[in-house]
Order: sequence, then C-alpha cells, then structure tokens
Amino acid sequence: MNEIQYIGETLWPGRLGHFLIITGFVAALGSTVAYYLAEKERDKTNSNWLNTANWTFTIHGISIIGLMGIIFYVMLNRMYEYAYAFNHVSDDLPFKYMFSAFWEGQEGSFLLWIFWHIILGWILIWKAGEWKPAVMTFLSLIQVWLTSMILGTYLPFGNGESRIGINPTVLLREVQDAPIFANAEYLELISGSGLNILLQNYWMTIHPPTTFLGFAACAIPFCYALAALWRQDYRGWLKPGLKWGLFASFTLGTGILMGSAWAYEALTFGGYWAWDPVENMSLVPWLIMVAGVHTNLIARSTGHSIRATMIFYILTFCLVVYSTYLVRSGILEDTSVHAFTEMGLENQLVFFILFFLILGLVMFFRRYNSIPTPQKEEDWNSREFWMFVGAMVIVIGSALITWSTSLPVTNAIMQFFDPFYASRVIEDPISHYNRHQLWVGMLMAFLTGISIYMRYRGANWEHYKKKFFSQTGVALLLTAVLTWATIQWIQVVAWQYILLIFAALFAFIVNLDHVLFRIKGNLKASGSAMAHIGFAMMIIGIMASGINKTYISSNVFAQSGLLEGMEDEDLLSNIVLIKGEPIFMRGYIATYVGDRFDGPERSFDIEFTRIDEDGREVETFMLSPNVIYDKQFTKIEAANPDIRRQPVIDIFTRIARLPAQQIDLESAREVEDSLKFETYYMSLGDTTFTSKHFVVLEEIHHSILHPEREQGSQEDLALSLKLKVHSLDSDSAYTIVPGISLRGSFVFRYPEQIDPFNLRVQLSDTLIEDLFHSEIALDYSTFLVERGETFEFGGYDIKFVDVNQDPWHPSYEPQTDDIALSAILEVTNRLSSAQYRTEPLYLIRDTRQTNYKTMIPEAGLHFRFTRIDPNTGQMTFKVAEQPMKVENLPVQIAENVPRTDFIVLEAIRFEGLNFFWVGSSLMMLGLLFAMIVRIRSKM
Amino acid sequence: MKKIHLVAGLLLAGAVVLLVISSSDLGTYYTFAEAELLEDDRNVKIIGLLSKDKEMIYRPEIDPNRFTFYMTDEAGEERMVVLLSEKPQDFEMSEQLVLTGRFRDGVFVAREMLMKCPSKYQDEEIFVRSEI
Repeated sequence: MNEIQYIGETLWPGRLGHFLIITGFVAALGSTVAYYLAEKERDKTNSNWLNTANWTFTIHGISIIGLMGIIFYVMLNRMYEYAYAFNHVSDDLPFKYMFSAFWEGQEGSFLLWIFWHIILGWILIWKAGEWKPAVMTFLSLIQVWLTSMILGTYLPFGNGESRIGINPTVLLREVQDAPIFANAEYLELISGSGLNILLQNYWMTIHPPTTFLGFAACAIPFCYALAALWRQDYRGWLKPGLKWGLFASFTLGTGILMGSAWAYEALTFGGYWAWDPVENMSLVPWLIMVAGVHTNLIARSTGHSIRATMIFYILTFCLVVYSTYLVRSGILEDTSVHAFTEMGLENQLVFFILFFLILGLVMFFRRYNSIPTPQKEEDWNSREFWMFVGAMVIVIGSALITWSTSLPVTNAIMQFFDPFYASRVIEDPISHYNRHQLWVGMLMAFLTGISIYMRYRGANWEHYKKKFFSQTGVALLLTAVLTWATIQWIQVVAWQYILLIFAALFAFIVNLDHVLFRIKGNLKASGSAMAHIGFAMMIIGIMASGINKTYISSNVFAQSGLLEGMEDEDLLSNIVLIKGEPIFMRGYIATYVGDRFDGPERSFDIEFTRIDEDGREVETFMLSPNVIYDKQFTKIEAANPDIRRQPVIDIFTRIARLPAQQIDLESAREVEDSLKFETYYMSLGDTTFTSKHFVVLEEIHHSILHPEREQGSQEDLALSLKLKVHSLDSDSAYTIVPGISLRGSFVFRYPEQIDPFNLRVQLSDTLIEDLFHSEIALDYSTFLVERGETFEFGGYDIKFVDVNQDPWHPSYEPQTDDIALSAILEVTNRLSSAQYRTEPLYLIRDTRQTNYKTMIPEAGLHFRFTRIDPNTGQMTFKVAEQPMKVENLPVQIAENVPRTDFIVLEAIRFEGLNFFWVGSSLMMLGLLFAMIVRIRSKM
Repeated sequence: MKKIHLVAGLLLAGAVVLLVISSSDLGTYYTFAEAELLEDDRNVKIIGLLSKDKEMIYRPEIDPNRFTFYMTDEAGEERMVVLLSEKPQDFEMSEQLVLTGRFRDGVFVAREMLMKCPSKYQDEEIFVRSEI
C-alpha cells in the first residue's frame, strides 16, 4: 500500500513534543548522575558537578514545561490529528475547562505530577543549601521514572506490544486503526470527543493540581530521608524534613478534602466519603505522612524515633506510587467508580514501586544499626511516648485500609498461581471500613488529648504529675457532660459510637484548654492544637451526619413490593413528585412547582415546607436540582444535585429519574411508538365517548392556540379545536386546544397531553388537507371602502367601523418597524340580526405587504384586508363565503399514555455535616500554621 | 522488653483481632444459584451481564424504587433482578454489572449496583463531525 499524503495535518508540534520528551528524559538521567557525582565530590572545593547538575535539572524542567505548552497549543487549536486533543477536547469545550481537559487523561496527569516535582526541585536548588546534591539525586531519579511514563518507546523485544510509557503527542492515526484514515482528508471529517461532562466542573480545575502537588510534596521528605541515610547524617535533615512533611500534609490533605467537597456538591451519591478504593489510596499516604510528621517532631525534640520517621517517609512515597498504580492500572475496575482503564502501564508502575521500595528499605536496613537512638527509652509519662503510640495507631489504621483496598491485587496475585481462585470482595465497604476505623479514630482522638498534657521526656514528672492528674480529671468530667449533651442531639445508642464521641470530645476539650489557658491564644504555637481540635470536630461531624442521615424522600405509604423486612426501608430513597401536587414525606411537604431551561441545563424547582410535630409549617424553601442535556437535546448527560446548606441541617436533593420521554430521543420514540391512537370523527358541539373519557368539541379556531407555539411563527393555515375532556370516573375536566398548521410545505402538529388522565390528543393530518383545498377553492370578492362605510356581501351587512392602530391577531407577532393595522368590521346577518366583529390585519414589514385573514366560523365568512390607497384613503377588503366544515373532523385520541409531568426525586437530610467541613478545614489550617511557623523560625 | 514494644505488641494484637473480625465482611462473588441456596439474610455480590434483549421495567409512577431487568451471571444463568432504586442513566450501555443484594421469594433483590460502562478510551469509534 502506498503511503497516504494526509492533508491539513500540522506535524511540527508532534515532532517538537517528541524531541522535548527525549530531552526531558535524558536530562533527568543526566542530572541524577551529575547530582550523584556532586554529592561524591562534596568536599572538593573545585568540583563543578553541582553547577552542571543544577543546569541539567533546569533543562529537564524547561523541556517538560515546554512539552506541556505544546500539548496546550495542540488542544487550544483543536488539532484533532493528535490523539490527546481528540480524546480530551471538542469544538465546543469552553476555554475555562481547558486545564481540566489537560489532566483528564493519564498522560496529562503524569505531566502535572512531573511539573510539581520540577517546581519543588527548583525550590530545593534555591533553598536546600548543603543538602542539595544528595536530596536532588533522589528527586532526579524519581523524575527519570516519571518521565519514562510519557516516553512512549516500544521495546525491541517481545511481541512488539511492550512499550515504555505513553507519548502524549502521538497522532491519532498512529494509535487508532479506523477506515477513516484511508481518506487523506480525514481531518475534515473528525471532531474531538471532548471532556466528560461530569468533569466539566470548577473542582476539576483545582482538585487534581492540589492533590498532585500533595503527591509531589510527599517525595521531598522521602528524598531527605534517603539523603540522610546516604550521608549518615541523621539529625541535620530532621528540620527540613519536618517543614516539607508539614507542607505535604497540608497540600495533600487539602487536595483530598477538595475531592470530598466535589463529591458532595456535584456528584449524586449523596455523601462526602464512600470508602472508594481510589479515595482510600489517596488518604493512606496522607495518614502515614502525618504519622511521619509526629515522629519527626519527637525526633527533633528528643532524638527518639529517627528510624520510625525515616521508614514512614519512605512508606509514604511508595504508597503514593502504589496509589497511582491502583488508580491507573485498571485493576480496580470492578470495585471503584473512578478508576482509569488499563493503558498498558501496569508493569512499568509495578517496577516503579518496587524500585523505590527496595532502594529505600535496603538503604534503611544497611544503616539501621548506625542510626542513633537515645540510651534511655521513652518513659510512659512522657509526651513522646504517647505521640509515638499515636503514630503507630495511624500506621496500623492505614495498614488495615490498605489491606482491604488491595483486595483486587491479592485476588490477581492468587489467580496468577491458581486460575480457579475465587475472587474475594468486600460485601459492604462502608460498614467494613467503619468497623475498624472506628477504633483507630477513637485511639487517635484519645491520644491527641492525653499527650498534650504530657511533657517531653516526662520533664520534672514528680512535680508535675499532680497537675497532670487534676487537669485530666477535670477534662474527663467536662467531656462526660458534653458527651451526654451530644448524645441527646445525635441520638446514638451503640456504645462504640458513644466511646468514639467521648474520645473526640476529650481531644477537643484538652486542646481547647491548651490554646486558651496554656499558650494563651498565641497563634504561633497553636498550629498543632488547631489541627487536633479540627480532627475532633471532624469526628463529631462524621458521627452526626452519618448516624442522622435520613432519606426524607421515602414515602412510607408506597407500595412495598417485595419488601417485608424493615431494614430495607431506609434504602428506598426515591419518591415521585407530580407537578403541582404536594407530597408529605418525613417532616416535609414537597411540591414540584415547575421546570425551566437555561441552555442545555434544565432545573426543577421543588418547594419544601418543613412541618413540626404539631403539623405547623415552620419554614418554606426552594431547591432546584438540575439535569444537563447534550447540545442537540438528544439525551441527558448529567444530573447535578442542589443542596440547602444551613449551620446544622443540610438538605441534599437530586433528580434520580425523569419520565422516559424526557431522558433521550430513543426512549421518547419508544414511548411514542407504543401509543395506540384511535380516530374519532367529531362535530362542533358533539360529545364523543372514548373508553375512559368523554370529549366535547366546543370551538373551532383557525389559528394555533397551543401554549408551545413558537413566538413569531407565521402559519399559512392553522386549525385548533377547543375540546373539553371529562373523566368517566370523576368530575374532573380539562380544556385543551390541540392544533395543526401548515408553514410553507411543513405540517406542524400541536398535540395536547392531559397527564392526570393519561390521555393524548392530536389532530389528523387530513384536516390540513381539507383546509388547504378549501382556501384554494375560496372565491373572494373585492371591496374598496372608506372608514364608516357599509357594504353588502351575501346576506350580510359589513360595516368598516374604524382602523385599529394597535392590532391583535393570533398569528401576528409584532416587530419594531412594522406598520400594522387592522380593520374593525361589524358584520350583521340581515335575517337573524346576529352580529359579529372581526379584525383582519394588514401589515407592511420590510417594504413587503402582507395580510392575515380572519374568519367568522359561524357565518362561514373569510376576510382579508389587502391594501391601503395612500392617496384616497380607501381600503381594499376581500371577502369570501364558504361554510366551514364543522362535522366529522378526525381527532386522534390515545389513552393509557405515560405521564410526563413528574420527577423521581431523592432527598437526604444531613445533620451536623458542617462540623466535618469546619473541622477538616481547621485541621488543614493548623498544618499550614505549623508549617509557616517552622519555615520562619531560625532554630 | 521496652515499654514501647509492649504497646506496639498490644496494638498489633488489636489490629489482628480487627482484621479477623472484619474478614467476615469478605466474600466471593456468587452466582444466582449459589445465592439462592443461602439461608441467612446476608447480602452477596453477583457479577454478570445485562440481558439487553429482555424486558426492563421501570414504572416510577407505580414505584420509583423498583427497577426490574434480567442479568446473566458468570455461570451463564439468566435471572430476573429487582433493583431497589431508579433505573440508572445509560443503563443499556453497561458492559458489566456488579449487584449487591439477596434472594427473597425466588427473586434476587439488589440494593446496590455498580455498572461498568465502556470507557471513551476504549472506544474504537471515531466521532464524525456532525452536520449541525
């Protein structure tokens, strides 16, 4: 086959991008070697390696940032010849989501991670001082591995499928095999698939960068620990290690919290944490990092726990990579809602983890015995003892989470050895994790409290112990009182939960006491207490919102179907709201008031009225969850909840389902096809019976009266029937105006649906044919008349009473610059003296004359106002007589039509959720404070 | 022995106890036949494929928390399933289903469902620019 010369492709960004990837990779390798040599020659004054290494690292950085620039360029210009642009942007993607689209894909998020390492690396080059060459050796080594993830080089051996990394600048036709690429002008035909609508959210812009900054920051204490082992300088690194540890805890923690907030605000599962594997595996590195920060503090103050700090920092980084592996390898597909699918990077990621885990552990254990520990062991009455116990609790808790989360990995390993091994799975993840994390949280909270009252090294214990016991006693007493009050509010029964609340409140009181009375509000020293108070509040928030989470949208009177057991009652979370019909549900009356469109966004206004126990209305508020359709309104793409946030109570609502007709075109068509219309021939004034209803034809109009008629549309012909539909079973009746019209050569139908009757009415197409024929067949007579004159037509006297300057006609939509007039005609039947009034309309729009006819259906008269003579002031009217067909009009009626006027709603009431948000934010603030204070302090 | 080792030992023992207790939360994926034979009220997980040719019924106006469809489990058995929830968006597109629930009166009643939908990364189709 000949090579195809493709037209319209821009190839230079791909070539430049590939060059930058190679440069970035080689420079990372080079800087690793150079920093290594610089460290080796640290004592030589004339060594130039450090300078070389800094430059090489900078070249690495510039290459990667340049590469990111190229990818942005390709995406911004919608160059769909590039796979990354094709997969992540589309023609209509707004600029504000360009960043989200950038890190939506695996390659982009790897680049984001590499980017942060570069920034942190530059900060280290600037600030790290004498630790620079050793620390940067390891950071550069990490960069080598990470950059290899975007290398996209195929290995020369194996089946030709094995490759290193995925190149983000590869062309679409190089990775996808499709017949369209036989066309040299394929680019004209394709369009990007765009950013997943669920990710078109401002959180997607800020959550990934923050989380990746956190991940990147976790590497720095790791590098310091390895540097310390290499140099056998076990104390000098503790100070910078602590600063970076605090920085990592702050950034990663904030990133995780943003994810929670996003989940609560924008996703539809109704919560902030679901123990999803992906969530867990970002939490675990953070927990170990926090444990490391605590042991680091101990090491700084007492010299104990240096080993533990090192091992924790090593573990943190390896867990970050492990987390990446779990998320990106596709192994979690069955158990997680937000894992990437397989991209062939699994093996490479496994080597990545093993490399650094083995490197770290080998270095650690080779030096194990030379790491100093104080001769005297920690006393049980010292702060460091209990802090260390706390750190161990965190690590054990993390180990339990990791073990459970790694179940898919153990399954895969077991199946490797035994193909018949049945995969194990957690049956109910939330209760499973809660079961062990309950105890971990309890111990952590308690230790957070008790260790504050201790002193480092148990200093002056004999003197101090009296104070310690009295303080603790008072705190315990206060805690008991507060626990009692909290239980009254939250309504807890399980003793384990009560114990957890007790522990959290103890931590709260002790730390508050510490801030208020010990350090007397000195902000500089309050970082840790702030974080601990936050932690305690967070637990209270978790307990309150978890225990008091109620589905208020459950209707206890609904058909229970298969259910006998009470336990499932809480699960029944959905309720049907019919437009305009208030429904009572667990303390609230909800009314679906109506819906409105804003572009593709359709919001549903639901009015809630809270009812107290005596049945009185307490308050009324409105919530508007929405759904988002795609651009062509062919289907719903996403649903967004709406939340009423109040200090204590949150009400969360989401649209669980809409009537089938409104979900997508296909369902709408299915419903349409399933309807069984029957044709009834109706005459004016007649009553027709269907199987469940009777219908009266009350009026015939020659215009469209249907409310959904587009503004400004001009029908050539139109017919509406005013029908009154009665139910056979009840007294209720509805008036509807189904219509049909002709515009040019198109027939427009205006069917009417009566949802409470499950009934749909439409007019038969043959009506328009009849009408069309009759208009042609009309034989108009022309009259020139002046104002006030009367003329004769058939058996009628027609008086031209006046001209109406402000005319109205059902088919006429006024526009500015229109010259529109109507003639007021009074028509009298000479025989019966019956009088009618009609106003045919004359219009000049854009120098064109037109007119809108009117009819007097009862008289069968048709009027047109066709001309005004500006010189004489005479008006021209055309009148024709044609008795209107008022008998045997075909009307099509379908019964048992599915309703379209309801929504399926899920509404959840959370209590005390703000304790969680305030507490967790306070925790982050505490970490930030501690970090700033440490960075500023000279010691 | 150091005190810290004693505490560490206690904590580890505690962790082991928790691990043992919570290991009862672990199960294997069941098939319909196995799940039907269970005598307790335990919820189990079943993996399977949606039977796309069979009837799916969701009538919110009658019961918004009842959606019935047919699924074929890994043993190839096709059974009717009741999901105690709404019919999820894009359900017809699902490739694989993981149900959590139990048998009641001969019908598998699922309280939770995880759907695996074809990812756009695997989509071999090239979107052709639409006319609009």
